[in-house]
Amino acid sequence: MIRPFANRQMLSWTGLALAGLIALGVGLYFGGFADHGNVTDLRGTEAGTLFGVALPDVKGREQSIGQWKGKVLVVNFWATWCVPCREEMPEFVKAQREFGPQGLQFVGIAVDEATKVEAFATELGLNYPALIGGYGAIELSRSFGNRLGALPFTIIVDRAGRISHTQLGPIKETQLRTIINQLL
Amino acid sequence: MSKLPIARTLVIASVALALCSSAAAAEPRLLEPERAFALSVQAVDEKSVEVRYVIASGYYLYREKMKFAVEPGALASTPPLPPGILKDDPFFGSVETYRGRFALRLPLAGVEPGLKVTVKAESQGCADAGVCYPPQLQSVTVVLPAPGGRPGAPVAATPARKSWFN
Repeated sequence: MIRPFANRQMLSWTGLALAGLIALGVGLYFGGFADHGNVTDLRGTEAGTLFGVALPDVKGREQSIGQWKGKVLVVNFWATWCVPCREEMPEFVKAQREFGPQGLQFVGIAVDEATKVEAFATELGLNYPALIGGYGAIELSRSFGNRLGALPFTIIVDRAGRISHTQLGPIKETQLRTIINQLL
Repeated sequence: MSKLPIARTLVIASVALALCSSAAAAEPRLLEPERAFALSVQAVDEKSVEVRYVIASGYYLYREKMKFAVEPGALASTPPLPPGILKDDPFFGSVETYRGRFALRLPLAGVEPGLKVTVKAESQGCADAGVCYPPQLQSVTVVLPAPGGRPGAPVAATPARKSWFN
């Protein structure tokens, strides 16, 4: 029979076991349940609805995301009024240049006006499509798990058309490269 | 093992810590914008209301993105926004931001005591964690008191949730 307070040795074991359980409980509460996170976990689901999205580019020409099916697709929701969004884009431009020939395709969906997007795209030397979504694009991102409707929000789709990763907030270069290398 | 109590303690403590940190999300928990930038409005007297923001720690609003309107009636004059904290923005240059709490008096025109007015507020802010929220459009309805009467109770834009979780 276990007697928790029988002696000092048992007391220390009991205390540590309790601390461990509390630590685990706290950890699970804050992160263990996808429902409580910033983003709904959609990994593994088909990106069919995403491929059905068609939006104009900066020149007003309608582009369907379906045209990039089969690529390793990185769809990034951003805006010129979002500083953290703009700060991560140079790393996307670099990755597009480096891995584009191997089948990587970035697509930006701007929650923004075409004129502002075009100005920034030119300044940055953007080498991937910038589609204009307007504020309606926030709702689109919600349907892919962006619970808070904030930016930047990124969806990464594998060559088979399944969602591999979604993230709210900037993606660090090392993390991006790790994911890309796994999928290419 | 019982001969090395310190080693045993360390093993158990590190396992507990590993469980805790691996279970915890890699990214910080972010608030819904209505909770990060909590708005309330109070009818102060028969011709003015006070707008109050309580901004959660780690979040900020852009001063130049604040916009207000009332319905019915109108703003008697452009409300003087309090000065914000200067933030050096790599793209916009110097911008003013609000953190913590701030309040703003809106003088009204074309209103009368007892009138129900709806205050419309637009704000846009971000989290230090590295995300920005789109502009938030919120409405709060208050009743203007009689001259010399007591100010109304502050009305929250989004009622506080009563829950153990979140």
